[in-house]
Amino acid sequence: MEPIALVLAVLAAVLAVPVPILLHEARFRLRSPWAAMLLWQAIALAGGLSIVGAPIVYGLSPFGSSLPEALLTAARLTLMEDYAALAELEVHPWHLFALCLGVLLGGHLLLTLARTYLRVLTARRRHRQLVELLSTPLQGRQAEQAAGISAAQIIEHEAPLAYCLPGRTSARSVTVLSRGLLEQLEPAELAAVVAHERTHLVQRHHLLTMAFEAWYRALPWLPTTRYGREAVLELTEMLADDGALAQHSREDLLRSLAVSSGSAEQESPRPGSDAEGNSLITGARLRRLLVPPAPLSLAARAAVLLVSAVLLGAPTVLLLTS
Amino acid sequence: MASLGDLERSVMSLLWDSGQRLSANEVCEQLDEDLAVTTVLTVLSRLEKKGLVQRERTTRPHRYAATASREEHTVQMLNEVLGTVPDREAVLARFIGGVSECEAAALRKILSP
Repeated sequence: MEPIALVLAVLAAVLAVPVPILLHEARFRLRSPWAAMLLWQAIALAGGLSIVGAPIVYGLSPFGSSLPEALLTAARLTLMEDYAALAELEVHPWHLFALCLGVLLGGHLLLTLARTYLRVLTARRRHRQLVELLSTPLQGRQAEQAAGISAAQIIEHEAPLAYCLPGRTSARSVTVLSRGLLEQLEPAELAAVVAHERTHLVQRHHLLTMAFEAWYRALPWLPTTRYGREAVLELTEMLADDGALAQHSREDLLRSLAVSSGSAEQESPRPGSDAEGNSLITGARLRRLLVPPAPLSLAARAAVLLVSAVLLGAPTVLLLTS
Repeated sequence: MASLGDLERSVMSLLWDSGQRLSANEVCEQLDEDLAVTTVLTVLSRLEKKGLVQRERTTRPHRYAATASREEHTVQMLNEVLGTVPDREAVLARFIGGVSECEAAALRKILSP
């Protein structure tokens, strides 16, 4: 089993450091955000499996030639307090250390995931209570214009903003718009914003980001956990943009972005703003909206799918057959 | 019959608008709906549990007031969204922004006819 532990350790190291660094700025994410999202999810799962699996497989290697067998033997000998048999197996303290490390790391990751999930649920419930008390449903002409909005709520505040609050079911999900946004946008632009937020809700983006949020909280000292979290958040925005573009015009979406992102005080130019304008647009998401790149070719998408499947399959197969 | 959520809304707006401490009886009288005082008490204690209402126990009957004004609550809520509080990720709210101010200004320039 030791060679397999080594392979898992190498996989864990590769997925933990170089891969996120390369992937978080890979150009293809602009062309097919779905493909990049799939790859990130596969990396998170495969990385978690291999980083926990490697020390456990190594630690159990003296006990048998496959993981299930070694687990059973280790448990049996420990419970029976068969010290003679244990001594014969030549268990090095390193093995015990690795075993503890693997179990602790796995426990830490799972507990952080659970804690993050609970925290998110609590915060969301509290936020929803406030939304219910403080907002009024969107009504009238604007509601008709932004057809298909079942639950857009208006908050009385002058800052232009829009966000969504995911619920367990889509009926419990809410899109919240501020009065400031409502006043600054044309109905068509407003409809594009609402379509963007609805795409977040319909595609359940909050579930896609959850594991990365937990990863980041569990291993904040590993710089690449931050890359993963930011990259996945950015991808959800691109996916939501694509969802909005399926029904609304690019101009409406861009205009609504310009209004809701910038400060209201347009007359005060900021230091560092450039008369050329164009050169300042650096955000990948904006660039992608302004100059839409061609989607990935079928072959490239198939390749990404294959890589994701291999990433998920490899550590699983290694663990089961080790 | 209005749902509990709706009742909470009306009781909260009454407390916010009046700006003073009210007893359950006064709340009941000032609400348009035809409600039993016990219902109002239930709603008030639910709101108290949620931390939205403060109960003053030194007087008889107990009087209730909002813990913060409507504006303060709105600001707190928006801070969660805009990321000025550490709990921001927890809300998982996605604000259409994520675009820097410079970029927005440049964008406005491109879009302006």
